[in-house]
Amino acid sequence: MKKIYLHPLPIRIWHWVNAGGFIILILTGAQMRFSNVFNLFSFETAVDIHSWTGFILLANYFIWLLYYLLTFKIKIYIPPLHHPIEFTKKALRQAKFYGWGIMVGDENPHHSTPDNKFNPMQQVSYLMIMVALIPVQIITGLLLWDPKLFSPVVNLIGGIQIADMIHVLLFIFFSAFIIVHFYLATLGHTTFAHIIAMFSGYEEEYEEHEEHGGHAEEHSHQEKTE
Amino acid sequence: MDDIKKKILISLFIVFMIFPIYVYAAKVVATKPVLSDEAQMCLGCHSNKDMTKALENKEILSLYVDGDAFVNSIHNAISCAGCHMDISMQNHPQVKKIKSKKEYIANASKACTMCHADDQLRKKPIHSFLITKAKAISCVECHGSHSIKGIAAQRAGLGETQYCLSCHKSRLSMTMKNGESLSVFVDESSLRNSAHGKLECTKCHSNFSKTQHPVRAFNSKREYTLINTELCKKCHPDASSQYEKSIHYDLFKSGNPKAPNCTDCHGNAHSLARTKPDKTIGLTLCNKCHRELNSSYEASIHNKARLQGKKDAPVCSSCHNAHNIESTKMTTKIKEGCFKCHKDMGKVHNKWLKNPPITLSTFATAHFDVVSCAACHSIEAKRGIYLTLYSRKTGEPVTEEELLKILETDPVGLMKKIDSNADGIIKAREIWDFFSLLYKKGVTSIFMGKMDVGNAAEAHMIGGKAEATKDCVKCHQPGAEFFQNVFVVIQKADGKRTILNAKPGVLNSVYTILPVSKFYALGSTNIKLFDILFIIALIGGIAVPIGHISLRIITSPLRSLRRMGKGGKK
Repeated sequence: MKKIYLHPLPIRIWHWVNAGGFIILILTGAQMRFSNVFNLFSFETAVDIHSWTGFILLANYFIWLLYYLLTFKIKIYIPPLHHPIEFTKKALRQAKFYGWGIMVGDENPHHSTPDNKFNPMQQVSYLMIMVALIPVQIITGLLLWDPKLFSPVVNLIGGIQIADMIHVLLFIFFSAFIIVHFYLATLGHTTFAHIIAMFSGYEEEYEEHEEHGGHAEEHSHQEKTE
Repeated sequence: MDDIKKKILISLFIVFMIFPIYVYAAKVVATKPVLSDEAQMCLGCHSNKDMTKALENKEILSLYVDGDAFVNSIHNAISCAGCHMDISMQNHPQVKKIKSKKEYIANASKACTMCHADDQLRKKPIHSFLITKAKAISCVECHGSHSIKGIAAQRAGLGETQYCLSCHKSRLSMTMKNGESLSVFVDESSLRNSAHGKLECTKCHSNFSKTQHPVRAFNSKREYTLINTELCKKCHPDASSQYEKSIHYDLFKSGNPKAPNCTDCHGNAHSLARTKPDKTIGLTLCNKCHRELNSSYEASIHNKARLQGKKDAPVCSSCHNAHNIESTKMTTKIKEGCFKCHKDMGKVHNKWLKNPPITLSTFATAHFDVVSCAACHSIEAKRGIYLTLYSRKTGEPVTEEELLKILETDPVGLMKKIDSNADGIIKAREIWDFFSLLYKKGVTSIFMGKMDVGNAAEAHMIGGKAEATKDCVKCHQPGAEFFQNVFVVIQKADGKRTILNAKPGVLNSVYTILPVSKFYALGSTNIKLFDILFIIALIGGIAVPIGHISLRIITSPLRSLRRMGKGGKK
């Protein structure tokens, strides 16, 4: 078994700050929205925590952005759209694995390397999340934070209620996403393999796979670890 | 020798002291008219100042005649009986019943026509006009009686104002074409004590003078007042041009007979009050029409400050302006009225408004834009959310009159289009339908939301700082207290509003996202559908791992079999 250095330190810091931040934002956001249902914090405290965390995640986003831009590693997020058919096939194969293969003991068709970290489904979803959804969430968050300061942008999108609608719809998406994301993180060769890797930076990979590359071999190795 | 000196001194005394007195006395005696024997005889009694007669209406008529004044009058050569024809040296009725002073004066004035021919009296147009009037005032009311002077002498001897007052001090009135009567009486003491006390009449009434008095006719008192408003412009051009931008002038232009003009607020120009340092003038003038707001103002901290003598304590005009008064309902300028005195309100409010990590003044402004000052600072006000229809294109309210044209309907039809089920409550779907209808007609509209107090009285009942609302959750939580009263507002061209009750939850409906897209309050304008979506997303998010784990558990025998198969091969 060899260890692949998959998650460099800046990305690990970014990830865990982001993870913690998301949970705090979801909880405080839900508190502001459902103060008639539950009362973890007062309204003022919820706003305080939410705003501070929002700004921390805004700064944190730039750790991710600068790291990937400056190291040119951003390309790991870019799906190979010049091979659309091949990419679609791979994506379907990945979906099939999660939907069926994983049940019957097939091996994960994707093996992460530093240059090819994400499977096709991850690649599409993370690209969307990192370059569209999170920036939009940050921007709409800023608009709601001080609508008057950003009034030209607020007016451009049609009004503050539109900013809120986008922010809330993304909040709904991220709330569901983070649950599924957490579950998927447990689908490594052990339940905590991916999670530990996200702390240590090293993802474990069997050397036999590298040598033989056969599906049956890979499968048996994976099963052993379960 | 001493005798000679004495004689010289006596001679000099006579020459320089006594002789001039003698010469003057001789001259006076020579030029002073001499009263007739009859007059002197009458004055024997009537020079007594205490001589009076009680009239039937209990008035006391003075029978005193100032002999000196009479001697100097133009009638000094006429004997008393020349005018008082029923009285002579031989016949003086002891008891003559006289009803009133007015009757006495009217009868006495009849004597004037004995000498003064009609042609002479009709020479001047105004004189000609006045003497033909049924209720014309008598001659003596303008010209006086025993001290009467010739017109030339009266004109020369009196100042301009005094000359005018010689007639206008009497209860003169003008009759309008519509039958209304307008008093043109000028109370001299009020005039002298007024802000205009030092002005000559012709300063304002420039068409009039000692020699010129045109006869004018007006349709109504209102027309007279409005024409005379122009006179104020001469000296008060700034106030006049400000007035022409005011809601009061808009009312006037719309033909409202109660629309106030200069004198309606300031009172008669002849008794115009001076500005008082205690600012009571700013209250009393407005209270003429806006009396209902006075009690709420009196309960306010503003009035308390005024009563304490605080220099900057506001009265009506401090916030609403004195002349360029705008409708508080159509503009946000009333807030500027507050900010005239209450400076740096962004900083002041940001002491308690929190928006970490850094609370900018814009954050307070975002609140000021949609919350009226009174909404938080009025004592026990009934707050409400007012959704006023605006045009997105012009940024101005779409008025009821414009809507009638756009939708080619009448007011009743318009109401049916807004409240389609005619239940008196506007629902979210009805807001959406009306918004869509206007969009189809080419008008991109928006309902601009604003939190305000329920009525004008509440707006004036401003409390102290300690009484202001600072509790965020009054607005920022689902079902917030201040969001329970929602209204749809249609503005009218004259500044009035049609206010329709809306269902409290309209702002939580997906139907109002677009029509009310510029009004948002964290917590209280949550869209209910999104709350449901959130619950579904959470359930879905949890269901995915549970379902997947379940399938993995169910399918574990498959994997075991496969593993065994692989193992067998090995």
